[in-house]
This record gives sequence, C-alpha cells and structure tokens, in this order.
Amino acid sequence: MKMKTTDMKLKQLMIVTLACLPAGFSALAADGTDTNSPGSSQVAPAPSVEAVEIEALKKEVQELSQKVQNLERQRELEQPAAPDTNQEQIQALDQQVRILERQRELDQENAAALAKTQPRLSLGANGFSLSSADTNFVVALHGVLQADSRTFQKNDNVPGNSSILLRRARPILSGTVFRDFDFLFIPDFGNGTPGAASAATTPSIYDAYVNYRYSPALQIQAGKFKTPIGLEQLQADVNTTFNERSLVTDLVPNRDLGFELHGDIAGGVVSYAAGIFNGVGDARNSSNIGFEDNREFDGRLFVLPFKRTELTALQNLGVGISGGWGEGSITNTLGLPASTGGASSSAGYFTDGQQQFFAYTNGVLADRVHWRLSPQAYYYYGPLSLMGEYVLSDQDVRNGSRSASLRNTAWEVTGGWVLTGEDATFNGVTPKHPFDPRTGQWGAVQVVGRYADLDIDNAAFPFFANPAVSASEAKAWSVGLNWYLNRNILVKASFSRTSFEGGGTSAASAPGSVTSHPEEVFFTRVQLGF
Amino acid sequence: MKPILQILLVLVLAAAANAKEIKLLNVSYDPTRELYQDYNAAFAKYWKAKTGDDVVVSQSHGGSGKQALSVINGLEADVVTLALAYDIDAIAQHGRLLPADWQKRLPNDSAPYTSTIVFLVRKGNPKRINDWDDVVKPGVVAVTPNPKTSGGARWAYLAAWAYALDKYGHDDGKARNFVKRLYKNVPVLDSGARGSTTTFVERGIGDVLLAWENEAHLAIREFGADKFEIVTPPLSILAEPSVAVVDKVAQKHGTAEVAKAYLEYLYSDEGQEIAAKNFYRPRNEKIAARYAANFSRLKLVTLEQEFGSWAKAQKTHFADGGTFDQIYQPE
Repeated sequence: MKMKTTDMKLKQLMIVTLACLPAGFSALAADGTDTNSPGSSQVAPAPSVEAVEIEALKKEVQELSQKVQNLERQRELEQPAAPDTNQEQIQALDQQVRILERQRELDQENAAALAKTQPRLSLGANGFSLSSADTNFVVALHGVLQADSRTFQKNDNVPGNSSILLRRARPILSGTVFRDFDFLFIPDFGNGTPGAASAATTPSIYDAYVNYRYSPALQIQAGKFKTPIGLEQLQADVNTTFNERSLVTDLVPNRDLGFELHGDIAGGVVSYAAGIFNGVGDARNSSNIGFEDNREFDGRLFVLPFKRTELTALQNLGVGISGGWGEGSITNTLGLPASTGGASSSAGYFTDGQQQFFAYTNGVLADRVHWRLSPQAYYYYGPLSLMGEYVLSDQDVRNGSRSASLRNTAWEVTGGWVLTGEDATFNGVTPKHPFDPRTGQWGAVQVVGRYADLDIDNAAFPFFANPAVSASEAKAWSVGLNWYLNRNILVKASFSRTSFEGGGTSAASAPGSVTSHPEEVFFTRVQLGF
Repeated sequence: MKPILQILLVLVLAAAANAKEIKLLNVSYDPTRELYQDYNAAFAKYWKAKTGDDVVVSQSHGGSGKQALSVINGLEADVVTLALAYDIDAIAQHGRLLPADWQKRLPNDSAPYTSTIVFLVRKGNPKRINDWDDVVKPGVVAVTPNPKTSGGARWAYLAAWAYALDKYGHDDGKARNFVKRLYKNVPVLDSGARGSTTTFVERGIGDVLLAWENEAHLAIREFGADKFEIVTPPLSILAEPSVAVVDKVAQKHGTAEVAKAYLEYLYSDEGQEIAAKNFYRPRNEKIAARYAANFSRLKLVTLEQEFGSWAKAQKTHFADGGTFDQIYQPE
C-alpha cells in the first residue's frame, strides 16, 4: 500500500515538472536577452515581474527535482526492505509456535507432577481403594456375600436345616495409615454364624485389629482376629474348598482377642505367628470383651522350603505346625466348644451341615488347661490342590465333682483338580477366561473331594456327654464342583455325607435327631467376593 | 611373611572391616548438578582419607522453592544447598527440621559461594541487549523461570527491581512498572533455572535468558560460544546460595557428623576451587583472585541494601497476592 502511494506521488511530481518546464524556459530566454545587453544601465534596474517569476520557477524546479531524487532514494530503500519484513514476520511466527509448544510441554510436565501428588482412586476386581499419592494412607472397601442353600435328605428339625440362607454378608474395611499401620474391620450381617446359635442373626464383629508393620518379617497385631491355629481355618472365607470347613475345624478356635507377633521371613519361605489371647473354646468366636484373668498362648510355624528354588513342582509345598496352651477357669463361659447346630446353651461339635452331633451335658464346664496341636501341610501344583491337617484338642472339663481331661482329635484331607487347567492356590482359582457367554468364555471349573474324621475322647461318656444321643465319632466325605465365573463370582455345588458312631437314639432335637442316621446334604452357593 | 607385615595386614583388614558406607542426600536447586558432582567426589575422597568411611552422596535438583517444599513434606534430605536463605528458613519454620538460627553455624551466613544474574543472548546479540533497559523494550522476548518456584528467578526479579530503583531514584512505583514491563516480555515461566535454560537454549525461544552466572557459562561450554554469548549488565544483584544440615533428618539417619563436615568442606581450598571452576564466585579471596578472569566486574547490590531481608522481600514480592502476582498476567 505504501509503495503504491509513493509511486503515485512520484508520477504527479513528474507531470507537474514537465508541465512547468516549457513556460520556464521561454521566460528564461526573454529575460536573458535583457540581462546580457551591452548597453544596460550601471544601476541595476528593478527586476522585472518576469524575472521574479523565472527565479521562482527555477527554485520550484530545483525543489521538485530534489523531491524526485528523495522519493527515488526512498523507494530504493523501501524496495529491498520488503523481504526483511517478511523474514521478521516468519521469525515472529516461529517464536510463537515455539512458545506454544513449550507451554504445552510445561503444562504436561505440571500435570504429571500434579498427578503424583493427587490421591489415587482404584476400582476393580480387588475392590475399591483410595490412597494418598505416596500410598502412606490407604482405605479399601471389600466385601463377601454368600447366598447358600442346604438340602438335607432327611430334615432333622434343626434350625437352619434345609434352608436358603445368607451364610455371610460382610463388608470389609481395610487400610493403612502412616505407611506402617494397617487395619481391618469385618462385621458380619449373615446368618448361621459359627460360634453362635444357628438362628442367630445379630450382626457381630469378626475381625477388628490394628497391625504395625516394621517389616514383612516383623509385625505386631492387636485386636480381634483369627488365632494362629489350624490351616483350613486360616484360609479366607471366599477361598474355602467347600461351603463349610471340615470337622477338623471344629477343634480349633475361630477368632479371639489378643496380641500377636508375626511375619514372613525370606520372602515367605518361613511364616511365623505367636500371640497371647483371652482363650476361647473350640470353634468359638470370641465376644468383644472378656473378664478372665487367665490367658492362652498360641503359635504357628509354616514353611515353604522350596518356594524360592527352581523346583517349580515343589514351590508350593508347605508344611507347618501350630498349637496353643491356655489355663482357664470354670467361670469362662466361652471355654467349651461352640453351640453351633444345637440348642443355644449346648456346647458341642457339628457336622458339615452345621448340625450338632456331639453335645456336652448341661452343667459341664471348661476347667484348667486346654491345649491344642495341629500339624498341617498343603501342596499346590498346576491344577492340583491337596491339603491335610490333624488337630488334637485336649480339654480339661468338670461336671460337679467329676473332672477329666478329654483328648479329642480330628483330621482331614482335601483334594481338587481344576478341569479348565488354571492353577489352584491356597487363595483360590483365577479363571483364564472369565465368564462371558457372548464370546464363548465360561470361567474355570474345579472338582473337589474331602474326607474328614472327628473322634471324641471316650472319657467324655457318660459323665460329660450322653452316649445315647451324642456320637463319639463322625466321619464325613464330600464331593463338589466349583465354578469360578471370574475373580469375583463363584458358584459351588457339593454333596456331603457324614456317618456317626455312637448316639443314634432318635430325639426331637440335636444331637439325637442328627446322629440317628447319616447326614446327607446337598449344598449350593453363589458367592460374591471383591 | 614377616611379623610386621602380618601386623600391617591385620590392621588394614580390621580397618576395612570397620569401614562404613554412609549415604547422604543433598537436596539442591536446579543449576548445581555439575558443581556437586565434582564436589561430592572430592569430599568422598577427603572423608575416606580422614575416617576410612565411604560416603555416597545422592543429589536431588529442582526449583529451590519446590525443593524446600519437598523437604518440608518429607523428602529426607541430610543437607540442603538451596538458592537462597529464605527457602531454608521455610524448612526451619514450617518443617521444624533445623533451628531458626541455622545461618550462624557456618561462615558468611552459611553461603559458601556467591553468584549473580547475567544475560545469555544469541550470538551477535541481534537485539543489542546490553542492559536491563534493553530487556524491557517492546518486542524483546525474555526467558526466566517462575519466581514462585525458582530461587534464580527471584534473584533475577530483584536484580531488575534494584536496577530500576537505582535508575529512578528509588521510586518504587516506577520500579514496579519497570519490572512489569519486563515480565510482559516473558512468554514462558519454567519452574526452575534448568528448565529455562532448556527453553532458551534447546527450544530456541527468546532473545535473552536471565541466567545464573554459572548457568550461562555452562550453557556456553556445553552448546558452544558460536551460538551464545554472555552479556553482563552494569548492575546486578549479589546472589548468595545457602547451605544447611537438616538436623532432624541427619540425626535420624545417623549422618549428622558427616553432613556437617560435608558443608564445612565447601569452605576449604578444594571446595572453593571446585566452586570457582564451576563458575560460582568463591568466598576465599585468594582463590577468587586466581579465577578473576572467569567473572566480569559489575556493580553488585545486596538483598539487604535494597530489600531489607528475605522475609520482607518474600512477603512483598513473592507471597501469594504479592507484587509478582499483581504484575504478572499470563497470556
């Protein structure tokens, strides 16, 4: 635009200049004649009007000429400047692009840095968790829901028998505070709670503890939790092979209040636990408070000797031993076994179908020493799973002036095979192809079997238990099919048959009604665990 | 083997058996990477000869303010070597990890070397930037980090402010306007000095980098004198990076003794020489004289002269809602 204006001015000046030149030169010629005349007066005559005009024109011409020269020079200067301006614009644009790119780069860096300081939210097959950016604080929500059915070949009029029931309904709140302090809180809103009367529906606390983790090898736990005795009992509820644990678990405590030192050494090759507890009877779940002065000491050592070797076939071979010793008093109302499957005040032992087959006579109390010993082992290799356990529970009892030390024993062997080829583990089976019929995936299927035996000390009869109704031995075998739809959903079906020695006198209630014939029960379960 | 040799061997083996490996974490600011790489090796050698123990010093670098915040939030630094005393004051005040009078524990107010802010420009200085006035001209693009997070940026900000005070007869309003014009020319704010060097040198953004003196020299050493040149303004600020042992962390780690020695050795001839070689101005006058050619002469004002104290400067200029927040308008 500037260039065009300059050109137009130049053209106008040229036209004016050319238009003025002829007049100027004619005037100049006339004036020249007078000026150069030899006879001219010595006194300079006054300049004529023409001469003045000529001078003015001369001056104007000179000025115009100067202007033309200036404009030409200006145009020369401006013409080469054009590419420089473009170059500057390109450089400016280049800078803008670089600045924008750098700002984006910094924004990304800032976003990444900010993300590292933000709490993390996780929701998946492992449940829901919220953690601080440094993971020093974690809150996780898990849950277990078990909808069961039990169908008995012969209904024995026992509460909870042949029913559809909510076996467990447990929200699980766990977490960590200040990096090293873990906590767990598990209430149960389900029915058929072990350790309580079968009709009990009152929500109760199963686990509530704080654990300080100095290192994996050195941890201390306080609160209410599973005592370190047994093997099957220590397996998580969502991972048990059958709906109900076997007869062997009748002889170990369920949960108790206490302190426990525990840890895993050498990456889990050796696990240990040792604790002091209030002390509870077999299969008992402690209340939340105890007034006993005496205590029980329990411990467990479990070794996976080949875990860190190259012997893959033996890496999941574990052997261990656990046991406990406690001295109680007759005031300990929880010293005798649980009353599961029987009358609410009737302590005893129960079958897979959760029916009482042995009951202490009313008036029998736990007295003095109660000790237990439990050697145990498991083996997992590929789809194969094997688990075995023996428990000895030696209980001093009193009934009036009579006392005895009753040594009850139990053992069990459980085996399984995952038909779909997945690995079986102590922590269950994870299907390779989670259930999705639209894509032809059906999860994992496992067949399982178990044999268990519980033998009551003969010294229990007749002063501490009624031989007419209570069995002195129960033998149970079970077979089942477990269908793992995915990591969270499990469907189970199994059959269990328990036969008895002793008892057998038909009665209106357990244990007589139970021991009068073998127990045959068909179980199903739909389980959600996350 | 002769008995004396056997005894010597036993003594050597016993000493080796007793030798410890001590780990230190030095949390520092952005441009000190090279300085402390050299210094750590020298100190480890010195400490080994003195005690027989091995010292392994890990380094952490970032914007000085950010680094101080990390230590307050739990980064377990045995020592901090930050861009300015205020950041260590913050650790003392908010983290309560060392006493408030930490500056008195070492000579020169715990600032073993100094530096200043200079201009790094592109070769030939195409925008003819020779003084602070040239930096604030319209059309000039300047690069400097964010004073909120970078110690170097705070020194640069205060240097510009001090120049304006000097120019306008200590008229704070005019100084504020001057610095406002400067930041109008800053299109990108990195969080630390090293980031700004990347912006200017590697990303090719801007006409001038307001740089730590040592950082400018390192940029030329690394990227070539054919690409950049250093312009020293007639007036700048005396920057005094500070160092301190983080007592509670060092005590927890059992490293208090070696951490103290680590910082004290910065004042030794060897420590001062390493600082000078890395273009920090040494406190030791003899060594400063030996390396005088590395450092341009200029008028250096001090923080105390122009701004009173770091606490005051921080509150006035860099705290939330302070002058910087008021004058800087990101585009």
